Amino acid sequence: MMEPTGFGLLSALLAVPLIGALVVLFVPEQFSKAIKGAAMIFSLLAFVVSVVVFQRFEPGTYHMQLVEFVPWIDQLGIHYRVGIDGVSLWLVLLTTFLNVIAVWFSFYIEKRVKTYFAMVLILLTAMLGVFLSLDLILFYAFFEASLIPMAVMIWIWGGSNRNYAAVKFFVYTFAASIFMLVGMIAMAGLHREATGVMSFDLLSLQAEVANGRLWVGEAMKLQPLLFWAFALAFMVKCPMFPFHTWLPDAHTEAPTAGSVILAGVLLKMGTFGFLRLALPLFPEAARQAVPVVMTLAVVGIIYGAVVAAVQPDVKKLVAYSSVAHMGFVMLGIFSLTHNGIVGGAYQQLNHGISTGALFLLVGLLYERIHTRLFADMGGLKAQMPIFAALFLIVMLSSVGLPGLNGFVGEFLALMGAFEAGVAGFNGLNLWYPAIAGVGVILAAVYLLWMFQKVFYGPVNPNLVRLKDLKPGEIAMVSLLILFAVWGGVYPNTFIKPMEKALGAVRLMTVNEPGQRPVWADSTLEIDHNGDLVRVTPRRPGSYGEYTVLSVVAPANLHVPVQPEARPAPGGATARRAP
Amino acid sequence: MSGFPSIWLVFFLPLAGFLVQSLLGGSVVRFLGPKFGRTVMGALAVLPVAAAFLVAVDITVQLAGRPVGERAVVETLFPWIQLFGLNVPFEFRVDTLSMTMTLIITGIGALIHLYATSYMAEDRDFPRFFTYLNLFIAAMLVLVLGNNLVLTFVGWEGVGLCSYLLIGFWYKDVANSKAANKAFIVNRIGDWGFTLGLFGVATLVAANRDLLGVTDPRWLSFDVILPKATELLALYPGAATAIALLLFIGAMGKSAQYPLAIWLPDAMAGPTPVSALIHAATMVTSGVYLLNRMSDWFLASPVAMAIVAGVGALTALVGAATAFGQTDIKKVLAFSTVSQLGYMFIACGVGAFYAGLFHVITHAFFKALLFLGSGAVIHAMAHNQDMRNYGSLAKRLPITYLTMGIGWAAIAGIPFLFAGFWSKEAILGPAVNLEKAVMLGPLTVGQWAGWLGFVVAAMTACYMTRMMALTFGTSEERWRAIEPDHGHHHHVHPHHHHHDHGPDPNGFFMNDDEATLHEAQQAEPEHHVLDRNHEPHEVPVLMWLPLVVLAVFSLGWLGAWLYEGGVLKTWLTGMPYKSKHGPVSHEILIGLSFLTSLGGIALGLWMYRKRLPESEGWDLKKWSPLRLAASRQFAIDEVLGEGSVKAGGVIGSISWAFDRYVVDGIAHLLAIVSGGFGHALKWVQGGYVRGYALLMQIGVVALIGYLIYAVSMAGGAR
Repeated sequence: MMEPTGFGLLSALLAVPLIGALVVLFVPEQFSKAIKGAAMIFSLLAFVVSVVVFQRFEPGTYHMQLVEFVPWIDQLGIHYRVGIDGVSLWLVLLTTFLNVIAVWFSFYIEKRVKTYFAMVLILLTAMLGVFLSLDLILFYAFFEASLIPMAVMIWIWGGSNRNYAAVKFFVYTFAASIFMLVGMIAMAGLHREATGVMSFDLLSLQAEVANGRLWVGEAMKLQPLLFWAFALAFMVKCPMFPFHTWLPDAHTEAPTAGSVILAGVLLKMGTFGFLRLALPLFPEAARQAVPVVMTLAVVGIIYGAVVAAVQPDVKKLVAYSSVAHMGFVMLGIFSLTHNGIVGGAYQQLNHGISTGALFLLVGLLYERIHTRLFADMGGLKAQMPIFAALFLIVMLSSVGLPGLNGFVGEFLALMGAFEAGVAGFNGLNLWYPAIAGVGVILAAVYLLWMFQKVFYGPVNPNLVRLKDLKPGEIAMVSLLILFAVWGGVYPNTFIKPMEKALGAVRLMTVNEPGQRPVWADSTLEIDHNGDLVRVTPRRPGSYGEYTVLSVVAPANLHVPVQPEARPAPGGATARRAP
Repeated sequence: MSGFPSIWLVFFLPLAGFLVQSLLGGSVVRFLGPKFGRTVMGALAVLPVAAAFLVAVDITVQLAGRPVGERAVVETLFPWIQLFGLNVPFEFRVDTLSMTMTLIITGIGALIHLYATSYMAEDRDFPRFFTYLNLFIAAMLVLVLGNNLVLTFVGWEGVGLCSYLLIGFWYKDVANSKAANKAFIVNRIGDWGFTLGLFGVATLVAANRDLLGVTDPRWLSFDVILPKATELLALYPGAATAIALLLFIGAMGKSAQYPLAIWLPDAMAGPTPVSALIHAATMVTSGVYLLNRMSDWFLASPVAMAIVAGVGALTALVGAATAFGQTDIKKVLAFSTVSQLGYMFIACGVGAFYAGLFHVITHAFFKALLFLGSGAVIHAMAHNQDMRNYGSLAKRLPITYLTMGIGWAAIAGIPFLFAGFWSKEAILGPAVNLEKAVMLGPLTVGQWAGWLGFVVAAMTACYMTRMMALTFGTSEERWRAIEPDHGHHHHVHPHHHHHDHGPDPNGFFMNDDEATLHEAQQAEPEHHVLDRNHEPHEVPVLMWLPLVVLAVFSLGWLGAWLYEGGVLKTWLTGMPYKSKHGPVSHEILIGLSFLTSLGGIALGLWMYRKRLPESEGWDLKKWSPLRLAASRQFAIDEVLGEGSVKAGGVIGSISWAFDRYVVDGIAHLLAIVSGGFGHALKWVQGGYVRGYALLMQIGVVALIGYLIYAVSMAGGAR
């Protein structure tokens, strides 16, 4: 076990929003501008700290960085452990970034301002905690803690049906994650079986899994059960078909900032959970589950799109589109190919940006016209040309148009599914990418339809006095669009820092014990080809240059394609015309 | 071997134009006033494209000066998608094929931009129009210059976007935006095939990098996947067919081949310069470019080649037949484009890829000419597009008439003197002589396609003569017969609603002054509607000048130069020209061309020279059943287009109901059941919340119990 490190940078990142929440709570309610200002300052501060984290982050390794360990409940093996790697890096930045946008938008809030901003800031800590935790119980605590502020936001600042939506959101996701808690306790027990010590330490658990000491004998029979206990929590969170029905209600009723955070960050906790816990800890069960998860992903892609296409409510449409888009994330991850897993992980970020921006734009409109129904809109392009142009770009990013971020992630995820299908990995075949690809067509159907209903045609007579966006609002949306363009034109900025960590997660899942990367073993590294290599030990905590000693496991980045029977010589190829 | 870094100039000039138009256009027009502002922005739109054309000419001349083996240069700008096992740089390929396309795109593009500055001069959204148009040029250049299939796809979808935006340019009419949606969505169906085909190529190449001796990390680039394609695909005949067909689905979408052709006629909702540039000269020929680029991948599969030729032939036939039933001048040209694109695929399907591109070139000139000419007619006829209102416009629009006449002669295939004849000859010759390919009865599919091509050639000559005769010929001035209230005034009166939006502390709404100003800005210029007193006049010089230039290039000299001695074939394939003779001799082919073109023209003149036949007039009851069917596109669109929209709506509604009542219902049911259980035990008073909570508790307790048991058993067993 490593030496206690004390609290450090990541703890500061977690603490800043909490301190902000406290400060906000001490400001009297009537000074609403001061409350808003304080919330903004602390949100910006959290963003700055996350940027410092990014600067300290070393992209050349798959290992956890900036790890902090503070002993807590030793008897049960529960400790305060946080760290960051390539998988969580961008999610942390996305969270702090979207939070700034959400707080900015929330300046429109006039009802119970103090509670509102306290909730937003507490939610920020909870979300960051999920991405940074390296202890199962800590992860669980943050995972559940994020529910409360979001449920409260829906419950107090939501629309007409907010009670129902808040309760449904809370109970549905809470119920599912209880199974995960049970699974976590079981994992600690299995850790004791393997080592004699009970521990919820993710790194330690993963090391035992990777070395083949955890899943032995009878325990192996438990693996599928425990995998599904975790997977259920994450599948509800994603959400995957058929566990998605809380999402349209929650989104429709949530205030705009809540929708932005919900779509932008909270859903990613589900896919992140797969990458962080479900794949590395249950490799065999995860591989067995591939056909089931992939089927649900494909069904979700089509089903979400088909249902989205008939929604009369713009927020519901975007909510169902999230079901489809998150299906692509899962499709990529569970292809268990390198391209797919990178594409899936990248698509998480893209969905956060583009769907977050969509909800923001819908919110800007809602603040003005207080309706979400297409029937009450129409012809807005003539009224609000700048709004229409921004909406168009965001919509196209969601459609997956090349040049914008959505394309790269979707493309790689589909490509991964295709490769897995060609090779027949884990019982997959080419129907998976072929049908999922239809989802790309359907995305155009419902999103173009949405755009037409809102912006084209004659102006709705009720809206002829509507003015275009204000400069501040344009800036708010443009920030998101900046990243949508950046992510499409130069995705390497985002992919490079996370690629090694994702490659490691993949090898943890597809390789056999002894061939798997180990987070806690600093003599293992992923090299620039993606291979798992043994390197000379380095100073703990430093991730500088290293010397490769040997290749432990090749990356096998490309799937084999068996040649078909050699054709009869001659006459097999068509003739170029004379 | 030095490179061509100036190719980036060709790309960045229109891209910069796009940025200037989009970011500054509105302000400039507002600042300088509509008239002068539009002149400035129009110049700023035309100049980048024209400059790009000049640079492209320079590059092409240099390229032509090189030995054949050195006519392909790759220029890399930056690494785009870079993974451990995948490297897709942003790189352009300067070679004979890409530069040929580049010349068409920038050259004809510049002419059409010039034309559009006049055509769109009265439009309130002038800068927005050129924003899209410049972006289109940039995207189209990525399509043809990109050195890997992923970049091709970037351009592919990029031009699709511009097409969508331009079809729906006049967005206040929902019909236009529906047409735009249809174009984008049908193209996406094609893109589905393109993407999967691309994945197939990538997977196959990646798996065989050793066999191919590929060490280059850019293994998806054309310079890697093209040279050894034949060798590679010989090992994978089945995969070769699958990949070729998937890529062809992509080509069918973009290049409007049946059944994916249904979007192109609707695309005529866009302004006419758009129809000329995007939906005739450039974008719709992308599929032919793709097949040319990937020709070795198609040649590996005789079955796929036969399907390409077959689809092309059927599209040529159906397109031509449908054109007979159209009264809208742009619709005639749209279906004629569909039909001509079919010819290009016949060429590809019989292995005469270069001939397909040859027809792309000649068609780009004469079809752009015809479309711009039709735009001039429409402009002169107060935006009425129905040929039944036209007649004897020849003397009123002499330049338009003469130039369009050249376009007509070119598409009708009048031998030797006009361009279309040469490229048609280059296609149908190899087709009817294609042996040793997939057979269909006594002939190969290619031969069937070739003979069918001659039939379609006669039909083309006939329906184009019909269009010309009804527009320019006859002695009737049919708009004189328009009833005084025949044309409806669509003038929208400004709204004077005084809506009370309640208090507006955020300033979201206009006050009365702002509203008045906004209404004034939004007011459409009064459009003159075609009536019986209308006097058509020749269009301004900026519009007829491009017509003249295009007409010069639609003459026979271009075709003859490119055809005789195999100039174009050698240029594109790098192979020395060999004159070959099949069983159907050159003389017979020329004879057939004479017969079909002159025969079709004669028939057309005989039917339409004097007047609009009553069997094609306003009263549809007098139409023959066949022509009526043609006017309704033989129900292809009704079944596929409207049918799928209806079916999609039904499926969507059912799915949504399923979602609410079944998927969500099960969750609710669980809650209600456990809620009722709670009632019985008097623990709780029912309701969803408690129901959920109870269910949860029971489940958790049971699960924890089971897991503790299971873990202890597992431990015990060890």
